[in-house]
Amino acid sequence: MRETMRALLGLGPKAAPAPPEPAPGPRDPDEPIISFRDVHLSFDRPILQGVSFDLAPGTTKIVLGGSGSGKTTILRLILGLLKPDVGSIQVDGTEVGRLGEEELRPFRLKIGMVFQEGALFDSLTVGENVAYRLVEDGEMPEAEIEARVREMLGFVGLEKFYERMPSALSGGQRRRVAFARALVARPQIMLYDEPTTGLDPITATTITDLIAKVRDLDGVTSILVTHQLRDAFNVARTFMARENGEFFPRVVEDLSTLEGTEFMMLREGVVEFKGTPHELQTSEDPYIREFLS
Amino acid sequence: MASRTQLLVLSLGRRFSQRIKEVILAVQDYVVLTVRGLAAIVTPPHYYRELLAQMDSIGVQSLSIVVLTGMFTGMVLALQSAASLDAFGARPYVGRLVAISMVRELGPVLTALMVTGRVGSGMAAELGSMVVTQQIDALRVLGSDPIRKLVAPRLAAGLIMVPILTVISDTVGIFGGSLISIFNLKLSWEFYWRSVGNAMVINDLVMGFLKPLVFGLILSSVGCYMGLNTTGGTQGVGLATTRSVVVASVTILSSDFFITKLLLMLFPVV
Repeated sequence: MRETMRALLGLGPKAAPAPPEPAPGPRDPDEPIISFRDVHLSFDRPILQGVSFDLAPGTTKIVLGGSGSGKTTILRLILGLLKPDVGSIQVDGTEVGRLGEEELRPFRLKIGMVFQEGALFDSLTVGENVAYRLVEDGEMPEAEIEARVREMLGFVGLEKFYERMPSALSGGQRRRVAFARALVARPQIMLYDEPTTGLDPITATTITDLIAKVRDLDGVTSILVTHQLRDAFNVARTFMARENGEFFPRVVEDLSTLEGTEFMMLREGVVEFKGTPHELQTSEDPYIREFLS
Repeated sequence: MASRTQLLVLSLGRRFSQRIKEVILAVQDYVVLTVRGLAAIVTPPHYYRELLAQMDSIGVQSLSIVVLTGMFTGMVLALQSAASLDAFGARPYVGRLVAISMVRELGPVLTALMVTGRVGSGMAAELGSMVVTQQIDALRVLGSDPIRKLVAPRLAAGLIMVPILTVISDTVGIFGGSLISIFNLKLSWEFYWRSVGNAMVINDLVMGFLKPLVFGLILSSVGCYMGLNTTGGTQGVGLATTRSVVVASVTILSSDFFITKLLLMLFPVV
């Protein structure tokens, strides 16, 4: 956490010089929206070692790995909460490591983050928590903010909880409010940090259905970090189907037909595996076999 | 055998230099945090709701303990000084002694220590909990500057409310001394208050206002620093709270010496 303090003060390690920024122009739709190139980060020990991956717009990457493998660090790097020691991190064409805290604030508007346990502000009501970003932005009229917040709470099925305090919510409800809070500014990218950890299977399924809903209905690019295999595969398998004008979650049984979702497995900060859900399930790698068993 | 001793010395040296480096880095972080917090007080945007909440927490809610501390300190001071002054037949100077002691030293120091115990620890605990539950990260992700939103209002509230509390403590303390002087030491009300009035010079007022300003800044900045630097989950929050009280109290007491020394050089007592 000391790193949080130093990053907050802008005293953290400086990233290695990145390649020159390309001249601004229209983005190629096939260009990755998130791109890691040989990213290294160490604190007392190496956290990430040579991590490279790309994420195309509208797709989902599911990052698996044991505790301390560096999964959450990837999300913190994307948000600019941490800076890499070496390597390049591009998000929507911006080199994140180069941005100072002031420049990061508007940049972060395009990203929604669901923290582990929700990270709701204890002193604010559910409605105020969800409205926070819009209020802070100061550009939307109050009535419009309230309407948007109620819409988001309706999306996660908690419209009646507008006036409640976070302390009066269950674990699953807190995650759903965090979901609404992350979605309220209509981000291009959603990051999920262990959103189902500690939840019962039914509540976890509600959360994985929500992730699929955001991905399929709004075309949001997502990164899901988890060590819960069941929930990871649920997200990959679930898609939203329209029936009688309404959307319902449906499940694909055959993993080999899945598109748009890629798995990545980390082991002690090193990428152990990258591939489709089918490739992961059929991998012969002993570590992956042990992880999946 | 010699090489083993050399290795031991080398290892101790390395640990010592590592510790020194950590202390220097901590001081750097603390100074940068305080300067950024102070800069955020005078530049927009301002979080007035937060500022009012902190002024209420530091000022209004600390009022009762500050009044009690001031009152009993003034009363004890009157009793103790009378016992000593009687030896020289100088009992009438009790008011003067109580007033100077309260305004110059005991009022600012005791008020700051009481507020540190009550509020400084609370700041560290609140911010520490926000760190371990990722609320600070959430603030940054949602477009807020935690220094502007959390640190600046606390520093401003400390700078405003500690001097006000100190003035109240001084007044109540001198009043407490007057009660003892009148009912116990059999001095007249007029004589006591005239003695208090004669004792006060501009030097006392400068000291009485400058010290609480510095102490208010110390207790709130140390509380914020310790809270934001919390590590190790809920256990770390407890540790940050304790450290905040210890570090702020020691810093207040040591800075009191240096401020007194400096002010006595600038405004010598005649």
